[in-house]
Amino acid sequence: MTEPSLHINLGGLAMKNPVTVASGTFGYGSEYGHYFDVSLLGAVTVKSLSLKPRPGNRPPRISETPAGMLNAIGLQNVGIDVYLKEKLPYLREKNCTIIANIYGYSPEEYAELAQRLEKEGGADALEANLSCPNVHDAKNTCGPALVAQSPQRVKEYTETIRAATSLPLYIKLSPNVADIREPALAAQEGGADAVALINTLLGMNIDVETRKPCLSNIVGGLSGPAIRPVAVKMVWDAARVLNIPVLGMGGIYTADDAIQFLLAGATAVAVGCASFRRPDAALQVIRGMRDYCIRHGIEDIQKLTGALRLQ
Amino acid sequence: MIHLLDCKVLSNDEVAPGHRRLVLDGKAIAEDTCAGQFCMLESSPGLQPFLRRPMSIERFGGDSFSVLYKIVGEGTRLLGRIQPGDTVNVQGPLGNGFSIPKEFKRYILVGGGIGIAPLPGLAQALIRETGTPPEVILAARSRDILLCQEDFTRMNCPVFLVTDDGSAGMHGFASNALEARKPDKNTLVYTCGPMIMMGAVHRICMENGSRCQASLEANMACGDGVCMGCVVETTLQEEFRRMVRVCHEGPVFDSRDIRWNTGTPAHD
Repeated sequence: MTEPSLHINLGGLAMKNPVTVASGTFGYGSEYGHYFDVSLLGAVTVKSLSLKPRPGNRPPRISETPAGMLNAIGLQNVGIDVYLKEKLPYLREKNCTIIANIYGYSPEEYAELAQRLEKEGGADALEANLSCPNVHDAKNTCGPALVAQSPQRVKEYTETIRAATSLPLYIKLSPNVADIREPALAAQEGGADAVALINTLLGMNIDVETRKPCLSNIVGGLSGPAIRPVAVKMVWDAARVLNIPVLGMGGIYTADDAIQFLLAGATAVAVGCASFRRPDAALQVIRGMRDYCIRHGIEDIQKLTGALRLQ
Repeated sequence: MIHLLDCKVLSNDEVAPGHRRLVLDGKAIAEDTCAGQFCMLESSPGLQPFLRRPMSIERFGGDSFSVLYKIVGEGTRLLGRIQPGDTVNVQGPLGNGFSIPKEFKRYILVGGGIGIAPLPGLAQALIRETGTPPEVILAARSRDILLCQEDFTRMNCPVFLVTDDGSAGMHGFASNALEARKPDKNTLVYTCGPMIMMGAVHRICMENGSRCQASLEANMACGDGVCMGCVVETTLQEEFRRMVRVCHEGPVFDSRDIRWNTGTPAHD
């Protein structure tokens, strides 16, 4: 059969295949350049950028869990200035499609980041991280007040960022909510071009010998294959009520995992901490998705989005 | 250059109770390794454990390289069952190894427990660079887990043993043995072992005007500078140097840059 088309369009961003990487699991792209040609990805999503560099949380920051890991990095990043000056040239030179993940302390900070990235050519699309569980006061065990936990605030933040940029805008949502459809619809109403879900699930790990929490932040965000069924279900929930596309992520390790997200309604997917285990995981996912299309006689991968069979 | 290779297991023998040496066929990694670098090993082809295990590269050269490990958790228990002829996926060599400045008159290696692993390779490099075998302090809880002793004696290194329980050599800690060797301002100490031991070694070095390079251990997810999970706190003032990655800026640091009263627990 003819080569299947893997091209998709994610809320105004043309991607040569539906696979990007989850912010924070792929650095700024160049880190993985010695394992494979990162321009083969549908897009490179960079580590969260803030206006100022952030030192992040105190160690220990990671803890292994069954088929996954907890992290409480705290958005350690170089800041937008260093990104534009030192990190961006590599991605542009490689001709990568770039999704910049942004993090701010207020809607205005997000708007400023969006404006600067658009003006200085620092991104082809933006992903606003309204859902990091490891900043603010994550020691509040009632759950930190994430923007993504309040549909009203999601809408306000989205509107403010939307007004500041014409780049495709994705809102990254948290699974730590009772009903994912509410923040997803709020993002859509606010003018988002897509929603990205899920961020990590809040979790906790305890060393019973020392009786201490395994993370200095006490709680952290759970990722890895362990969370995949939760993520697929949330994509399924959100995609059915939205008119905008979904960028699905959470525990993708193989092409079959990624196909599950498409069938549940995602238009594109992000490979996350699988890259830590297998630096070329995202590339293998792309290859496997192509093979799946050939095996199933699918000429255009877009036909898989929402193609779940219920009968 | 960093490689991602399926390596054939040549041997996986017990070297002391609960400690093994895994020898792997991997010319590319063996050729590109410098003393003090590490690799990330898959302890299982499945998803459990999910993360690779960071391990110091012990011996390297020719077509093969080895790692020394202590069985403490699920990952190392699975590694312990690997048989010759099996394959293990390895990413490496990673990180910055030891550096060998020539201006010192004495070089002392201080290894504690399984932390001895990168030091025979360093001794070899020191002999090559300086022409003199370095002094070696080998520390362990008890005599049966004093590792690599024969490697150092074969290289004609003066070896000083110290055990917590006094079952071999001096009765005490690595830092006591170092103090007894009277390091001075012309001494460069290299150390690898438990954080508490390296902190004490650092203190002895500072008291005697010696310099010290310490090879740190940390839990890691990626091993390659991406996840920001393995950071340690530094004494450096610049905002974004307050936390440095053991995998990327390290694992070997000038001991003065590390904030020794905090640290990360050892990996299983």
